[in-house]
Amino acid sequence: MAQHAKAGRTRTLDAVDVVVDSDAHVTESVDQLLEYVDERDEGLRRIIEDAAQPAHDIYSVAHPTPPFIHTDAFGDVYSDAPTGSLEAKRAEMEEFELDYSILSPTLNLSLATVNNDRAAVVLAKAYNEWVLDQFTEEGDDSILTPVVIPPQAPDKAAEIIDDNGNEDGVCAVSVPSTGLVPPPGHRWYDPIYEAAEDNGLPLLFHSGSGATADIFPVMRKWTEVYAEDHAMVHPFTAMWNLTSMLFQAVPARYPDLQFVFQEAGVGWIPYTKWRLDDHYLELSDEVPGLDKLPSKYVDDQFTFTTQPLGYTGDHPEQLAKMIELVGPENLMYASDLPHPDFDPPEELFDRIRGHLDDEAVRGMMGETAVDVFGLS
Amino acid sequence: MSGVRYRVATASEVAEPGDRVIADIEGQEVAVFNVDGDLHALPNFCPHQAAPLCEGEVTGRMVMGDDGWSWEYVQRGEVVTCPWHGWKFDVTTGKNIKDEDVAIPSYDVERDGDDVLVVR
Repeated sequence: MAQHAKAGRTRTLDAVDVVVDSDAHVTESVDQLLEYVDERDEGLRRIIEDAAQPAHDIYSVAHPTPPFIHTDAFGDVYSDAPTGSLEAKRAEMEEFELDYSILSPTLNLSLATVNNDRAAVVLAKAYNEWVLDQFTEEGDDSILTPVVIPPQAPDKAAEIIDDNGNEDGVCAVSVPSTGLVPPPGHRWYDPIYEAAEDNGLPLLFHSGSGATADIFPVMRKWTEVYAEDHAMVHPFTAMWNLTSMLFQAVPARYPDLQFVFQEAGVGWIPYTKWRLDDHYLELSDEVPGLDKLPSKYVDDQFTFTTQPLGYTGDHPEQLAKMIELVGPENLMYASDLPHPDFDPPEELFDRIRGHLDDEAVRGMMGETAVDVFGLS
Repeated sequence: MSGVRYRVATASEVAEPGDRVIADIEGQEVAVFNVDGDLHALPNFCPHQAAPLCEGEVTGRMVMGDDGWSWEYVQRGEVVTCPWHGWKFDVTTGKNIKDEDVAIPSYDVERDGDDVLVVR
């Protein structure tokens, strides 16, 4: 890539044809989902309804301290459901001039924390029914959703992917990726990878700070404040999951799958690639399933959403340098709206426009996502 | 064959599979390995962090079986493992077994009576 070229730069965000938000949250409540539970699952619906605190008694969400205190630009994401409706999401897209939104859940980022596997399957199905019904419209691909799957039941997850994979409005499969036991390199998840590959859908891994009560990477017991938990859960989840998947040869075994890691920012990626390449060469007898350097699988089959970019103080150009290290062709802009650590498009654009060429900037702002998600 | 021939060993020193000699050629250490009766020569140098590569253990390597499950141990006696960080090179080609973009030269070896010659 021609870097620092004077010509061929995109000077304003207006000149970027397409901006895709590759991590656009909705904020579902359990009550909203219960309305979409299939009649055959009435018994489980009643059990979930009976929970005094379903986020704790069905899911195991337990933050060290309440999340995002005193940040309510978009309402309290856990109680007021600020993006619990299509109108609210459309208003965000209009305010921040986002052409496309790829939806992600909020509460169901913690789906892996549901102790009862049958309840997890029922909630996943209900979420998919709800999000498709409430947010997607036939013939309009400006808002698309992944199928969210329950990782604790891979066989049922594969059925959910097969049942929903061809539906209008579906563009991917989403794995709630914090607190996965076993980790995602394990063959336990093969039915999910096979189903995603069969349906031609990219596989999203979205970490979540609601899923840290018991399981690596951040245990609630010893994090005293939400800031500690939230700062590390996303990159630690991503590093652990990427390591597991690469060294257990998931991308080698599923060469047609594209993987997208969401919400861990960008800085961890070069470090992790270097470290995995180093271990691959030094401990090669332990990783016979790979045919090339781990970093090359990352380059070929993984993309990463950019938010949260982090605060670079007086040196915003350092972010552009970091993006050059990652490879801009592997990065996709994401807002994370309506969560209070969101990045508007300018947060990325303003820091890369003077450093990266036109193709790289347009790719990151939207065109790479158009390819990954098959947008028209 | 072009190149300068250097006498590095006697035939008896590398007569058996597994035998290895490290010689000095004008300040460069070069190792000669007997792999299944054939002689191969490599510089005693690892391109990773400049370790004496050819002083490492001669091993095989692990590969994934055709069934996608079994780990099979192959190329016994054909792989030298760097004593510093474990990088593995194919003695017969000089290539790193996991990344062919990383390689060291592989010199031709000739026998002349009782002399073993490296062509560099």
